[in-house]
Amino acid sequence: MSVVEAAGTDLHRIVASGKWPAAAGKVPIEWLGAIRERGAALASNLPIPDRKLEAWRYTPIGFLTKALYQPVLEGPFDAVQVSDVDELFLDGTDNIRLVFVNGYLATALCSNIVHADGVELRSLGGSMGEPSDELRDKLDQVADKRHVFAALNSALMSDGALIHVSANVTEKRPIELLHISLGLEQPPMCHPRHLIVLESGASAEVIERYCAIGDGAYFNNALIEVSLGAGSRLRHVRSQEESAKAQHLSDLHVRLGTESRYALTSVALGSAWSRTDIRVKFAGEGAHAELDGLILARDRQLNDVHLSVHHDVPNCTSRETFKGILDGKGKLVFDGYIHVAQDAQKTDAVLANDNLMLSRSAEVDTKPQLEIYADDVKCSHGTTVGELDQDMLFYLRSRGIPLARARQMLCQGFAEEVFGRIVGTPLYDRIRRLLAARLYETE
Amino acid sequence: MMTSTADQMEDIVSRGYEHGFVTDIETDVIPPGLSEDVIRFISRRKNEPEWVLDYRLKAYRHWLTMDSPKWSSVHYPPIDHQAISYFAAPKKKEGPKSLDEVDPELLATYEKLGIPIEEQKALAGVAVDAVFDSVSVATTFRESLAEAGVIFCSISEAAQEHPELLKAYLGSVVPHTDNYYAALNAAVFTDGTFVYIPKGVRCPMELSTYFRINAQNTGQFERTLIVADEDSYVSYLEGCTAPMRDENQLHAAVVELVAMRDAQIKYSTVQNWYPGDENGKGGIYNFVTKRGDCRGDRSKISWTQVETGSAITWKYPSCILRGNDSVGEFYSVAVTRGKQQADTGTKMIHLGENTTSTIVSKGISAGEGQQAYRGLVRMAQRAENARNHTQCDSLLIGDRCAAHTYPYIEVKNPTAKVEHEATTSKIGEDQLFYCRSRGLSEEDAVSLIVNGFCKEIFNELPMEFAVEAQKLLAISLEGAVG
Repeated sequence: MSVVEAAGTDLHRIVASGKWPAAAGKVPIEWLGAIRERGAALASNLPIPDRKLEAWRYTPIGFLTKALYQPVLEGPFDAVQVSDVDELFLDGTDNIRLVFVNGYLATALCSNIVHADGVELRSLGGSMGEPSDELRDKLDQVADKRHVFAALNSALMSDGALIHVSANVTEKRPIELLHISLGLEQPPMCHPRHLIVLESGASAEVIERYCAIGDGAYFNNALIEVSLGAGSRLRHVRSQEESAKAQHLSDLHVRLGTESRYALTSVALGSAWSRTDIRVKFAGEGAHAELDGLILARDRQLNDVHLSVHHDVPNCTSRETFKGILDGKGKLVFDGYIHVAQDAQKTDAVLANDNLMLSRSAEVDTKPQLEIYADDVKCSHGTTVGELDQDMLFYLRSRGIPLARARQMLCQGFAEEVFGRIVGTPLYDRIRRLLAARLYETE
Repeated sequence: MMTSTADQMEDIVSRGYEHGFVTDIETDVIPPGLSEDVIRFISRRKNEPEWVLDYRLKAYRHWLTMDSPKWSSVHYPPIDHQAISYFAAPKKKEGPKSLDEVDPELLATYEKLGIPIEEQKALAGVAVDAVFDSVSVATTFRESLAEAGVIFCSISEAAQEHPELLKAYLGSVVPHTDNYYAALNAAVFTDGTFVYIPKGVRCPMELSTYFRINAQNTGQFERTLIVADEDSYVSYLEGCTAPMRDENQLHAAVVELVAMRDAQIKYSTVQNWYPGDENGKGGIYNFVTKRGDCRGDRSKISWTQVETGSAITWKYPSCILRGNDSVGEFYSVAVTRGKQQADTGTKMIHLGENTTSTIVSKGISAGEGQQAYRGLVRMAQRAENARNHTQCDSLLIGDRCAAHTYPYIEVKNPTAKVEHEATTSKIGEDQLFYCRSRGLSEEDAVSLIVNGFCKEIFNELPMEFAVEAQKLLAISLEGAVG
């Protein structure tokens, strides 16, 4: 009697199989063993999300039951040439660029890799040199309160960047983590994993991008950990430009030390289904976080952002601004949670979520939340949902601008508040171009 | 400032519950426990028609299949539903025909509470259907209401005298399958109020029911049904106080409102049930399902509530905006102090075109009070040009209290406009300083600021209630500030 294979993807079975990715030369990465086991144990105990779980009530994961996703257990993908992907590169930058193809570092595509003093740049797979003990010890220390996908990432992480900036060192050149995915006949499931550690007084900029070659189906399940020491500064730019058939899930965990600064600009334009969990934890006083996001959901896209900000210590401030643009049958889910612990006096947090609906069949489900256990705080959130202002449209049209162009201009202006933060960079130009094209297409 | 505050706080906390006293009158109570037999007993005692019993049994059987909800932010030990007595009726001698015949002890209770039954006739023109432990014992102004064609009676009477109306509307807004406590209520509801305003009638006075839980260990399962037929208007007042006791008491009421074309219902609540002692012992569990259905075009339902009592308040007075151009409103002040918990808010379900809703919620959390605003605004696909504005503000007093805001916003129509704003803060030091520099005591300054904070809501209350509400707020918060 043969066992009938289920058509869908069984996450628990993947974990139970006990097959973990290997580094180049098919050698298992030994020092990851304990983390993988921990992740696997956690993943097998966590439920597969369904609508009954509050954090997933608006975000069905039906795609998992429709196809058999295969974790990518072997890399790297040397077949990909620079000429295949150079259109994805940002022109005119001196970014330190690390390129990952289906979750594995592709050394031939990287550029500007130099090891400056005080900056340790390694990869999980080990092809950039062995990571220091310090870095190894920090891995999997920031991420907490995970759902099954994040736990799965810990079990199945394939490759990723390990970045360590020593005390009082400033890395001037942005470090770009470019993910390039290729759909295969059996859709691959990739598990990139990154760790960014800034020691006290250090500062750096990280650009994290997700792109595709072709329009194949695949599932990216990424996890990023950021640990910021006292007085350090990190600028973090994320851009999700996955293929139209892709599923994208990323889990970002940030811990802020005393008087550190964290600025995030996150733009989600692509994928058929995406979910981003951003978890920011204040661990030292006087820190400040600025989190901005832009989400575009069109056609049958479902894009979900779950933000949770934990003010666990006094005197920290945070600003969250997330904007959504919906078109076609797009669906957007936003959950913005601010938690202020009992001792976190003098917390100041402001969250805003504004959504623009351009079509009759789109849907927005937004849920800003405040949970406050301290009294001397200033917290607020605001949410709006509406369509384009008819008066503004009329004004533009009376100046001879066609309707489609007028709509696009207004949307662009709406979106600019978020991605305008990176104005002057090549990525800004790229996002602007992509956004314009996508908003035009929808007419 | 901190020490004086701590002292004052202690003073307030240790102050007894001002409305805590138990009236000693013989009560006809059935032994604790819930079964089909108990439901049959209740139904028989109330001489209910067969269909009401069937409705109860259907609800009971459904309830048995349900689990008590766990999703809220309120915490309480599991309730043993077999330990509750489901029926308590004051002994009826002959049935009072006027106030003179009402048990004088009862009247004395009302007087202690300051409910001016007699005065109201002359003063405010308020008709009172006073519910004393599940059975209506005094009804006034019946005649002048009857003249206008308004039906204002207990649900039991309605089952006898207006079965066709009751049958048409009972459970039509809150079905017996709606939630755990609504199902329980549908099975065992003992009494409550039925109001019917005929077409084109503006109810000549404000209707009011004072509920009072009196017998030990009896949960109250009130059922209120208000139907405003086309082009009518009614304002309904509900106010509550309860005597002191040790056992937690479950209060699982259901309120259903139906507004037909061009009708308006204004429903106001002042709730000041026993909140438990300083250790959180005792106190009422106020788990109520309140929902209004704007069935006709241009109808309007307005909820106003001032919640200062109960150990746990857990309710979401909601509006289903079915008719085009219908309007839903929710104005709320909730105060939690000591160990009180509140999880309250509203749901505005926009189905019709041009529907509008307004939500203004003010939460004040002091001492170890826990409070959550939880709300849903849903714009359905055909809710063309629907509008919502939501404002939730929380005021924190003391570093052990908590305030949470959980709004859900679901929009499926691009022409709908939704705005939600929420703030949480403590009383501004600068505001306090300003008032004090003008010679106001700290207490007066706080009272001034808090009253200003709640003014929007109090303005929505009928005059008599506004006075009571301000008094309640002052008693609840005196000196609780630092």
